[in-house]
Amino acid sequence: MDLSAGVASVRRVIERWSRDQVLSLAPDAASQKAAAGVSAPGKWSGSGALPDVVWGECKGSGATPYRACVDLSEPAYKCSCPSRKFPCKHALGLLLLWASDGVPDGGAPAGWVTEWLEQRRSRAEQQDRREREPAKGSRPSSGSAQRESRVAAGLSELERWLTDQIAHGIAGARQTGLADWDELGRRLVDAQAPGVAGAVSRLSRVLREEDWPGLLLEEYALIHLLAVAHRRAAGLPAGLAETVRSRVGFPIIREDVLASPWIRDDWDVVGARDEEQDRLVARRVWLQGRATGRAALVLSFAPIGQALDASLVTGTTIDAALAYYPGASPVRALVAERYGPATAGPPAGTKLSRVPGRIAEVLAGDPWADSWPVVLGDVIPSTESLVDESGNGLPLHPAGGVPWRLLAVSGGRPVTVAAEWTPRGLRPLTVWDEEGQVVRL
Amino acid sequence: MNTPAVNVTWEDLVSTALVGTDRRSASPGEVLEQAAVQVVRARAGRRTREGHPPAPAAEETRPLAARAAGDRLARMLGGEQARLLPEWLEAAAAIGVRVPAHLIPGLLDLGARDRSIRSHLGALTGARGRWLAELNPSWSYLLAEAADMPSGDLWEFGTSGDRRGYLAALRAAAPAQARELLERGWDKETPEDRAAFVLLLSENLGMDDEPFLEAALDDRRREVRQAAADLLTRLPESRLARRMAERAARFLVKDGGGLRADPPKACDSTMERDGVRPRPPAGTAQRGWWLQQVIARTPLAFWAGHLGLPPERAVQLKVGDWAREVAMGWTRAAILQHDARWARALFEVEPLTDLLAVLPPDEQSARAAELVVRHPVDGQMIMMLGGVARPWGPRLAKAVLKKIVETSGTQPWNAGELIRLAGERLDPAMHGHVQEIAELAVILRFRYDMSKELS
Repeated sequence: MDLSAGVASVRRVIERWSRDQVLSLAPDAASQKAAAGVSAPGKWSGSGALPDVVWGECKGSGATPYRACVDLSEPAYKCSCPSRKFPCKHALGLLLLWASDGVPDGGAPAGWVTEWLEQRRSRAEQQDRREREPAKGSRPSSGSAQRESRVAAGLSELERWLTDQIAHGIAGARQTGLADWDELGRRLVDAQAPGVAGAVSRLSRVLREEDWPGLLLEEYALIHLLAVAHRRAAGLPAGLAETVRSRVGFPIIREDVLASPWIRDDWDVVGARDEEQDRLVARRVWLQGRATGRAALVLSFAPIGQALDASLVTGTTIDAALAYYPGASPVRALVAERYGPATAGPPAGTKLSRVPGRIAEVLAGDPWADSWPVVLGDVIPSTESLVDESGNGLPLHPAGGVPWRLLAVSGGRPVTVAAEWTPRGLRPLTVWDEEGQVVRL
Repeated sequence: MNTPAVNVTWEDLVSTALVGTDRRSASPGEVLEQAAVQVVRARAGRRTREGHPPAPAAEETRPLAARAAGDRLARMLGGEQARLLPEWLEAAAAIGVRVPAHLIPGLLDLGARDRSIRSHLGALTGARGRWLAELNPSWSYLLAEAADMPSGDLWEFGTSGDRRGYLAALRAAAPAQARELLERGWDKETPEDRAAFVLLLSENLGMDDEPFLEAALDDRRREVRQAAADLLTRLPESRLARRMAERAARFLVKDGGGLRADPPKACDSTMERDGVRPRPPAGTAQRGWWLQQVIARTPLAFWAGHLGLPPERAVQLKVGDWAREVAMGWTRAAILQHDARWARALFEVEPLTDLLAVLPPDEQSARAAELVVRHPVDGQMIMMLGGVARPWGPRLAKAVLKKIVETSGTQPWNAGELIRLAGERLDPAMHGHVQEIAELAVILRFRYDMSKELS
């Protein structure tokens, strides 16, 4: 049964987002502040809201007000201001106003609002048609052979370097590590193996820890395993071979991903985390399918201060088809098509006692996996772990500190928590409070 | 090359890796491969472990603040119009709501740095706040703040904050009963609690409390003695007030058309018992310091008889030496004894901010307006205005708005200060009438919306 047929005509009521949810869409902290500044009701005129769109005119410094409009189903943003940030402070300010009940419901949208919505709709249809055409061609072969050999050379040098380290001892890593890893990382970038280069550049983190020798050996061993796996890729099962290629850093073309089978579900956006590395911000948004129970990670990157993907709002649920990147424990995915929002409410949590088994399956497919989303139902947070009603606990990541906001929301009672599993412990991302409201952590 | 199942422990591998396989005659490749197997095996095999969740927080007794109000609090905690936070807290406390749980940590962090906002946090953060304060030592100050109107056995078992709240509520409802309750267990209270409890007796203070307070003058803790003396000063019939009046009669006498001060030559033990501090602050003469304190603790009603003059005339009298100390003693007395007539008379001579606080709000505002109209803007005026409680009356509002417009071109720093003060103190309903001062309009609009959300 194809449910998508009637969707365009059915307007869905979108549950009002919380202030937190709106702010999570901002590209940076400065934008959050600026948005709060323009969210005062006095700044806005001619504002209104229909079930899936909000609009208004914001008084700026100039004579003509800025026209801002947000299509909530996507969400997509439009504003007449010249800001390079996206979404701009006006769109966010408008959403904040809406979130605090400050935009009157109903009313006929102004001409410019309907015009923009029309444009968007027709563009979407065109793109639709384009994407339905079968993807042409496969991996471009010229240049790829050269890349293959560069990577192979880079990784075999890496293998030698690692065995040298173990042969001579890693006791001096605290003194010489930073310089060594810098140099090694650069050579791996030249060898077109950015995935491994990234893993090497993250090594410096272990030096902050007291048990750094053990942690460093863990990392060396896993990087070595990756290099060896790449060397022996021919003998690996197909899924694992794909995992190795993507961990090494071979690019995967968007079209190839979209050409794989899509999985349609009501996807809960369970949490997001921005991470800065090398002047880039990586936004990791975690999804979980209501029917399939599958986990997904949608990654986006942007230079610091620039627009990040703001289309997935934590705490909302979307009816969408996802296409997964290939691999043995696939998790990274693209949103292939959105059919609209789905009726929300807190996601169903899994039992805490089932997490270790789930993680074992993930690692059996991808031994390098160091991050996986879990949504836990009925857990009680303590200062250092999440505990279920029978007293089984999973530790929190020590670097995160005591999660006071999470503790405050739970008050020693069971709550639903979305967290990122890592080998060192859970990082809580989101909690649903007593009223079912979403609180980002 | 298969890695055989070997019985090396992880610790062995780490120590081999540290010193290097060259010294252990092992193969580095094998060490790395064994390590990889062990890492993944350990990660995949990790079980849950026994956890100890905290006991649940008590049920909340107050309703949650409206969503818009909570959102505004979140914005203020994020730095927007942060100066208005105390007003938000006060308004929220007045309508008896609590703050959303996820904002409590931010609020408690703020309270840890800023004592001035603590008094409302106990009630506003509710049971959840207290539960958190027990988990986090840097928030433990909350446990000493009064929370909601507590019930019966809290006096016996509650935290010091609970007990203060209990006593305060009882004092308001049944003053004598509260004092008797306090007297029964007095000897077992800690010095900090004793000092706090005595202060609570200022509500509904009467001569019935005099014997208890007189006895408290012999307490071991200075803060307790001081608090008791301050309260007794407000009771003109108290033994302490009479002793002070006797001293005052000796130290300050009418002399022709003026006054002559003859300060005490020593601070004896009876003076010290009555709350006179023997050691003056740096830069103050000892005798003058004692004189000032005696005057401050003498019932103001005493002077009309002693000098044969009403306060308006008394404050005009010429005093030779020690004129400063006499004026300061009276000022302090007017504040301590909440005497509006004396405060008014003294304010005419010298417009001190502290005196304004003794006057009824309308009068504060009217007197401040006169000063603003008559004088140029300076630091002293800004300080004075800082002492005028909100909301400012229409005359003061008009006078200050005029000053802002006048100074904005020539003294932008003063204008800025005035705008911020006016923003905090004007009636927020004026937000539509101050459009020419955009910054002020924004602050007032913010407060206007805030007050609507919290009503």
